[in-house]
Amino acid sequence: MTKPTNTGGGPLIALGCEGSANKLGIGIISHDPTTGKTAVLANIRHTFVSPPGTGFLPKDTAKHHRTFFARIALAALRAAKVTPSQLACICYTKGPGMGAPLQSVAVAARTLSLLWDRPLVGVNHCVGHIEMGREITGATNPVVLYVSGGNTQVIAYAEQRYRIFGETLDIAVGNCLDRFARTLAISNDPAPGYNIELLARKGGAVLLDLPYAVKGMDCSFSGILGAADILAAQMRAQDKILETEGPGALKEGETRITPEDLCFSLQETVYAMLVEITERAMAHVGSAQVLIVGGVGCNERLQAMMGSMAAERGGSVYATDERFCIDNGIMIAHAGLLAYETGFVTPLAESTCTQRFRTDEMLIKWRDD
Amino acid sequence: MTDDTEPQQFPLPAILTYPSSKTPELITQGAEGRLYKTTYLLPSVPCALKYRPPKPWRHPVLDARLTRHRILSEARVLVKCRREGVAVPAVYAVDEAAGWLALEWVAGAPVRVGVNEWLRRRRDSERAAGRGGDAVVTGDAPGDADLVALMRRIAGALGRMHKVGIVHGDLTTSNMMLRPWGEGRERPANGHAGGQGDGLLEGEIVLIDFGLAGQSTSDEDRAVDLYVLERAFASTHPRAEALFSTVLESAYREAFKQAPIVLKKLEEVRMRGRKRSMLG
Amino acid sequence: MKEPEKAPPAWLETIRLEHVPETHSVHVAVFKDIENAEFLHQQLLGRNADFEYAFIDASSVVSRLQVLSAIFKSITVQLNGAMKTPNIHSEIVSSLSPTKNISEAYRRYGITPTSKNIIVVRVLISPSTLTAEDVEKHLVDNVQGVSRPLDDKTLSGFTDWSKIRKYYKLNGVGWVDALKDVGVKSKEMEMLVLGGMSLRGL
Repeated sequence: MTKPTNTGGGPLIALGCEGSANKLGIGIISHDPTTGKTAVLANIRHTFVSPPGTGFLPKDTAKHHRTFFARIALAALRAAKVTPSQLACICYTKGPGMGAPLQSVAVAARTLSLLWDRPLVGVNHCVGHIEMGREITGATNPVVLYVSGGNTQVIAYAEQRYRIFGETLDIAVGNCLDRFARTLAISNDPAPGYNIELLARKGGAVLLDLPYAVKGMDCSFSGILGAADILAAQMRAQDKILETEGPGALKEGETRITPEDLCFSLQETVYAMLVEITERAMAHVGSAQVLIVGGVGCNERLQAMMGSMAAERGGSVYATDERFCIDNGIMIAHAGLLAYETGFVTPLAESTCTQRFRTDEMLIKWRDD
Repeated sequence: MTDDTEPQQFPLPAILTYPSSKTPELITQGAEGRLYKTTYLLPSVPCALKYRPPKPWRHPVLDARLTRHRILSEARVLVKCRREGVAVPAVYAVDEAAGWLALEWVAGAPVRVGVNEWLRRRRDSERAAGRGGDAVVTGDAPGDADLVALMRRIAGALGRMHKVGIVHGDLTTSNMMLRPWGEGRERPANGHAGGQGDGLLEGEIVLIDFGLAGQSTSDEDRAVDLYVLERAFASTHPRAEALFSTVLESAYREAFKQAPIVLKKLEEVRMRGRKRSMLG
Repeated sequence: MKEPEKAPPAWLETIRLEHVPETHSVHVAVFKDIENAEFLHQQLLGRNADFEYAFIDASSVVSRLQVLSAIFKSITVQLNGAMKTPNIHSEIVSSLSPTKNISEAYRRYGITPTSKNIIVVRVLISPSTLTAEDVEKHLVDNVQGVSRPLDDKTLSGFTDWSKIRKYYKLNGVGWVDALKDVGVKSKEMEMLVLGGMSLRGL
């Protein structure tokens, strides 16, 4: 095992590579041990956007990451104005995520490690989100809601682990939103969830009835997606009737379903569920801080609802903007460097990646509170 | 940035703003809502008023729907339990539109308090005798009889509840009360130690807080109920963890005919719990 | 629930209920062996405004707490503006029922031409032109029966248990029947009755 090399007390610099889903991100971070300050030197991202009505497939996404990796890495080095020799380590996402994209980025990270003779640090993607969120917002010991296309978890720290108090029992909330965007053939550019949010802002005349599925601190989204899909089908049937029979052809008292109201109702329902399970976890651990991380964390309606809940409990919500809440390389660099500073490195032979990697599997050696 | 939770002054539900002999006392502020100790009808009838305040961040239509549904569901489950002879608080009154539920006040202390105090005293006496004091409770020592008897009563209460088609959804030792044995009430023949201890663990088990409960006869749901309690028990009373599988399981078998199937499911749930992994 | 016995029993007892606004005052009376049930029933059917009372058939009642509970619920519903019947007194009668069926509730819990023992409730809401004395006088003048106190001992003498078991669906509660202590048993029955009332078939 390579010992951490600190070049004479100056700042430690790490490069992080992220590609667990459709974003390829490379970031460069510096930790100054004397001041304790963290600086983001570069945070470059390139997203694989699939056409409306489709999702990103592992094969195509992996190809995207392979195609762009060298370009993005060079851009990051240039933006940070650092040379490979200044790097303390190369950090990469070990998991969880989609197999093929994870692998293509792991291969690239290994290549950099061998090419530049720098040690590797494998990072848990979720821990990356949490640590970057804590760093950016200054939240010290929050309950964390981690919401993305692949994950939905309520997490709180205890005894050197990020413990999962609640999670989805089926699909992730982001996956539910992405798939509903496909149902409505909403654009995936820049992100399906963002376009749903824009439509939802125009809706709200009615709240359409969707199932509400919370079980303790766990929740479920597949039933909601199914019900929303059925409503969308009803809407298309209404479109057809109105088109052939003219206005006023709908049954007396029938609600005219619109994409805006569908998006509004879906958001109101799933975000209320997320706020509820987060509140339950806060009551359980006695915390008044909540940090939202992950791609869905960009949603302003979710942030506003969470803020109102936290305020009522005498606390506040911490959220980051799209640079940090959407998958990025800087969070991998940051969490990796934190681990590296405690003496952790990933030997080349063990520098694998894994689709399944629970947040609570990683020992958080850098925290002792 | 505020790290500390400021003490909050919560507005009372309208019903508690009308005159009463004693000022309503806020007992707990959970995520579900607030619990007040107050009176029902007469100054001599203590009552627990569970209030689910409106959640302003939730769409008002959704909020009203959820509040109504949950108040009614909890009331229905409690009424059903009571009819079937499972010891739970009686339901006095329900106002699902205003978001409150008035329940019989259950005297006594939560099981958690009794068990922790019992474990503390046991440790102190062990230490006084020159031993380490952190030995796990196996249930075999003569001094363990009270705790074993308590576990048997808990298992009996759970078996009875499951038998009538109710799952609790949030079993912890905080959600069970030890109510002093009432006059004229028969005590169970087994599951009662016979009072050689200090009385800390004496009393009838009354299950409370059915906010997440539901009607179900699924063995999977019952197993999850036991699993939740097992995890809560292990984290709340680590030194008595071993008693869970030994005493609780065997007494549950005696209380509930369907128990073997539920306990087999429990084994599966445990395995899943340890292995549960998610896709990225 | 044992309240201290009121001695000597007044014609009309005024009760201060917990969590009821000052504007509402509650007055109750019990009459045994009434002779003019048919007349009283007629006044209700004829909507005689002078007879705006809750006339409860005491055979369908197990305890004082049950009556007070019905009164409390009706006041709550009236305050919420959510009454399902014409007035607070008809609301009290229907509040005794564990179902939503209002006409059934009147039949089962209200006075009938053959009622023997009745409980009378009057809720005065200020500003009201009437006083407790007016109410008492009106009852003395119009109800032909023996005044009794509203207490559990008196009420238990009037209870028709077969009715109670049927109305509140208490025929399958073998564990209560098996209780040996009479006091514990009737308390438990009372709790089951209150539970049934609280749900009103919801």
